[in-house]
Amino acid sequence: MADTATTAGAGGSGTRSGSKQSTNPADNYHLARRRTLQVVVSSLLTEAGFESAEKASVETLTEMLQSYISEIGRSAKSYCEHTARTQPTLSDIVVTLVEMGFNVDTLPAYAKRSQRMVITAPPVTNQPVTPKALTAGQNRPHPPHIPSHFPEFPDPHTYIKTPTYREPVSDYQVLREKAASQRRDVERALTRFMAKTGETQSLFKDDVSTFPLIAARPFTIPYLTALLPSELEMQQMEETDSSEQDEQTDTENLPLHISTDDSGAEKENTSVLQQNPSLSGSRNGEENVIDNPYLRPVKKPKIRRKK
Amino acid sequence: MPPTGLEPARMNRKKGDKGFESPRPYKLTHQVVCINNINFQRKSVVGFVELTIFPTVANLNRIKLNSKQCRIYRVRINDLEAAFIYNDPTLEVCHNESKQRNLNYFSNAYAAAVSAVDPDAGNGELCIKVPSELWKHVDELKVLKIHINFSLDQPKGGLHFVVPSVEGSMAERGAHVFSCGYQNSTRFWFPCVDSYSELCTWKLEFTVDAAMVAVSNGDLVETVYTHDMRKKTFHYMLTIPTAASNISLAIGPFEILVDPYMHEVTHFCLPQLLPLLKHTTSYLHEVFEFYEEILTCRYPYSCFKTVFIDEAYVEVAAYASMSIFSTNLLHSAMIIDETPLTRRCLAQSLAQQFFGCFISRMSWSDEWVLKGISGYIYGLWMKKTFGVNEYRHWIKEELDKIVAYELKTGGVLLHPIFGGGKEKDNPASHLHFSIKHPHTLSWEYYTMFQCKAHLVMRLIENRISMEFMLQVFNKLLSLASTASSQKFQSHMWSQMLVSTSGFLKSISNVSGKDIQPLIKQWVDQSGVVKFYGSFAFNRKRNVLELEIKQDYTSPGTQKYVGPLKVTVQELDGSFNHTLQIEENSLKHDIPCHSKSRRNKKKKIPLMNGEEVDMDLSAMDADSPLLWIRIDPDMSVLRKVEFEQADFMWQYQLRYERDVVAQQESILALEKFPTPASRLALTDILEQEQCFYRVRMSACFCLAKIANSMVSTWTGPPAMKSLFTRMFCCKTCPNIVKTNNFMSFQSYFLQKTMPVAMALLRDVHNLCPKEVLTFILDLIKYNDNRKNKFSDNYYRAEMIDALANSVTPAVSVNNEVRTLDNLNPDVRLILEEITRFLNMEKLLPSYRHTITVSCLRAIRVLQKNGHVPSDPALFKSYAEYGHFVDIRIAALEAVVDYTKVDRSYEELQWLLNMIQNDPVPYVRHKILNMLTKNPPFTKNMESPLCNEALVDQLWKLMNSVFLENIGY
Repeated sequence: MADTATTAGAGGSGTRSGSKQSTNPADNYHLARRRTLQVVVSSLLTEAGFESAEKASVETLTEMLQSYISEIGRSAKSYCEHTARTQPTLSDIVVTLVEMGFNVDTLPAYAKRSQRMVITAPPVTNQPVTPKALTAGQNRPHPPHIPSHFPEFPDPHTYIKTPTYREPVSDYQVLREKAASQRRDVERALTRFMAKTGETQSLFKDDVSTFPLIAARPFTIPYLTALLPSELEMQQMEETDSSEQDEQTDTENLPLHISTDDSGAEKENTSVLQQNPSLSGSRNGEENVIDNPYLRPVKKPKIRRKK
Repeated sequence: MPPTGLEPARMNRKKGDKGFESPRPYKLTHQVVCINNINFQRKSVVGFVELTIFPTVANLNRIKLNSKQCRIYRVRINDLEAAFIYNDPTLEVCHNESKQRNLNYFSNAYAAAVSAVDPDAGNGELCIKVPSELWKHVDELKVLKIHINFSLDQPKGGLHFVVPSVEGSMAERGAHVFSCGYQNSTRFWFPCVDSYSELCTWKLEFTVDAAMVAVSNGDLVETVYTHDMRKKTFHYMLTIPTAASNISLAIGPFEILVDPYMHEVTHFCLPQLLPLLKHTTSYLHEVFEFYEEILTCRYPYSCFKTVFIDEAYVEVAAYASMSIFSTNLLHSAMIIDETPLTRRCLAQSLAQQFFGCFISRMSWSDEWVLKGISGYIYGLWMKKTFGVNEYRHWIKEELDKIVAYELKTGGVLLHPIFGGGKEKDNPASHLHFSIKHPHTLSWEYYTMFQCKAHLVMRLIENRISMEFMLQVFNKLLSLASTASSQKFQSHMWSQMLVSTSGFLKSISNVSGKDIQPLIKQWVDQSGVVKFYGSFAFNRKRNVLELEIKQDYTSPGTQKYVGPLKVTVQELDGSFNHTLQIEENSLKHDIPCHSKSRRNKKKKIPLMNGEEVDMDLSAMDADSPLLWIRIDPDMSVLRKVEFEQADFMWQYQLRYERDVVAQQESILALEKFPTPASRLALTDILEQEQCFYRVRMSACFCLAKIANSMVSTWTGPPAMKSLFTRMFCCKTCPNIVKTNNFMSFQSYFLQKTMPVAMALLRDVHNLCPKEVLTFILDLIKYNDNRKNKFSDNYYRAEMIDALANSVTPAVSVNNEVRTLDNLNPDVRLILEEITRFLNMEKLLPSYRHTITVSCLRAIRVLQKNGHVPSDPALFKSYAEYGHFVDIRIAALEAVVDYTKVDRSYEELQWLLNMIQNDPVPYVRHKILNMLTKNPPFTKNMESPLCNEALVDQLWKLMNSVFLENIGY
């Protein structure tokens, strides 16, 4: 009997120590359940007249009990789902027990037996708290067309924005310093990376890594990179010249990118450019007011034209 | 018409008055050029020409035409087969067996070869026999039609093919071809009479790929598809009589832009560059307006075309009704520095449309008139567009150039006359080349020739006034346009040719003035004038005793006799005096107007009427003279060396309003490193109203002065506090403001100051650490994000500044340069250069200005012994396929290396490139750089100078292809 007590006692202390040791609440829960089952097995053994039991046998019995209970639960769930329900009813359990070869009728009598022991309920361990995500701002309530049982909106920062509250640095000198060194660092890192991943040239024969120069590579059309502004500069360019889009929709009569400049010209010399509105409307040669031989359509060869 | 003016002109030039006499026994009236096949892959051209000629003598049995490198298949005259002989003596200038190998021999042989085919002497490479069946026909002086089938394979000149090696069709690759050449070199791409004096009307046909455009002279009449619809033919008609030398062609997949202001003007550029083209040409109409207004004459052709092409032979080439430009002139609105340069090129080409294309010349010796007039009206445009300061500065610059050239190399003769006399045969015996033909000149000589021509035009203007000058031009133009409209009277067409005598006659008719002495001095004679001036003030007589000496014995000089203007600024005002320079008189007494006793309350009146307060404490108490200027209007082609006291130069710098005077005084102050000079220069630097170029040169002068007075210099390094005040933040003086280049004057100053500062040296002859840190900080804090303009030129100049700060490395017994013994300052510089050069690969700057500066800086580091000298890097950047500016910078470094390290290998490499590089401009440039910075000189022992090299150079010269430069 003393053993049982120790076991029970061990169970209690184990739960406590477990809660101390394990950091994971799920593990914690699992352990607590196991201790309870052990207490149950021990009391049943006491009821059956054992005075003591080896630890291994108690463990085995616990395992068996656990399997049995699990099986009941699993089967009951299957039965209830079989009849398209989500919650098992008494009849599901009954059928399960019958299926497992258990005489259900003996159960009430067994429950009311005189020498049964009552085990204290396991100490209520704290429900493992799901760690609360960092809340930032207020969750939005559901709009009226979404039923209330639907899950709540996630925190606004996950899908709208994260407000940060830090005092911006306003000192001009610090800012300039920062911008300058940041840009320098980025440029340095980028160029070093490019140099590392590609071919390099060096100013010192014995050292190729201190001042790596990205190898000079000839272009097939060198003037394009030299003359056209880089993308960065394009961004800076404030004037948005929309006439750059040379849609190549011209028919075979105008196979070249012909564009008549009509942007920027109006500013000064409007009188010459009265025709511009009509021009932008119709681009096919016939209605073009500008009569330039290069804009005229190419003629079809005359039949039987001899060279 | 005042009859007096006519006499001198008539007396001196009898020949010109009779009108033009053709050297040929026939007159060309019309020519058809038809190119019906152009193969970009093989770089070949197939076509025919048809010349319509009228014999002018009865027994014409041989017809000489010009043609080079063309393969001629068949010649027919009036549909009869004709025999022909083709001989081009310039292919091998000196024969193989010749033993003589010197420059003189070569030059003579070359001149002989050129004149043997000179169209102006009626010669030609192609000699066609008139079939005997036609002799009778010829005797009746009836029309002959000469039909020549020809082809051209891999032309080495005349036509230049650019074929990028990428995937896709020729049009997609951006392949193009264009005509190019120096002077009259149309014969390189089709048989013709390649003379500026043989005018005719033209019909031009070019059959090209359907995705391409052929741009040529005259009006595009129609464009017709071929039967298979894969090609189209461009038909051009040029009804204004034009010389073959002014015919041009450009074919490529061009983007077309009709000028929004002038619909008859069309611009062409290579694919993808259209936005740049729009911006670049948006200014052209103003140039048109300007020229048409001053010449009171409409643009003579019915249309105008500009074509921007890659690998251009020269930046600007003007032909009848079209101009061919280098594509590198295109720029976007963000670029500051290129904009005025490009506009100048546009204006220059347009001026040549009037004089050079429309009006042609009678002979080579009349070339100066055309170059002079076009250069002169271009100058007027400059004056109007960029202001009087810029114009005067430009004139001074051009004057200095021509003076320096003539004093170094010998005279430039504008109007050579080649008479019968033996000794007169070569009027330029001091030169190593003949000036008889445009093709035998050195390139530099021709540049200087043009420069002198427009300066002389300006002298004529000074003499007869601008109004008359423009009247003369108008007269020439209206005569020519009347003649050009006479479609069937080809004898009238010679009115479109200008000659020296005709031009002078026109001048005397219009102005009634005799400019003969002026012409004699500057046109018929070569050389410039060299004055030495000094003065003394005679207090007793209150007279300024001016002594003006001349040096007319050195090569390139001549004696000047005539009026000379001297301006004297006295306390009571500015006074002009005209001295008569004569043979023997050296001393000139000029009476002074003011007493030396100074009246302190009075303001001092300047030349322009302005009255200013001056601090007169610096000047000599006995003399009322503030400063003296000799020939202030630059009305003599001269060099003046004038001696006056340092305070006078300082006054001149501070108070004289003429930019040329300011520039001169800055130059003179270099010799006076005193605190007073320093103060005068700093004041000018700070003055916002002062012309920016003057301020820029003041920077460099200040650096020189600071170095001379290094031991006594007080305060921070020169210009540093000035720069800080002008361009740095108020609160943190070590940080430069974010870039804002809206004011171009201060932009140029901001660019220049650090470059000049980097030239400062301390007592150990090192660049002060403070200056280097300052420049490094400028680079570090450079912030262009809010700027409307690109800062690529600014950053490039910062690298130049870094390079300027480099001083020779202290080397201990020639140890090998390695990283470990690298100077820490140099390490910082290298760090920046590396980063800049690498960033260029990722974000290239406009025209790769930064790469160019980096390459130069690396060469400086190598030369100063900080980095091992090694040409490998430069050679990789010099390869074909890099942007041309980069290649030139890299080649310059290789040339320099060849000289310093005496490397035979590199010289071979360069010579190989001279022979084989696909870009003529680069070939020309290498030769040019080798002559400017030769690997060895005449009397120097060098391992490079060996017989094999002589052999090689001799061969190269023998087959030299129209790249005339001074050897």
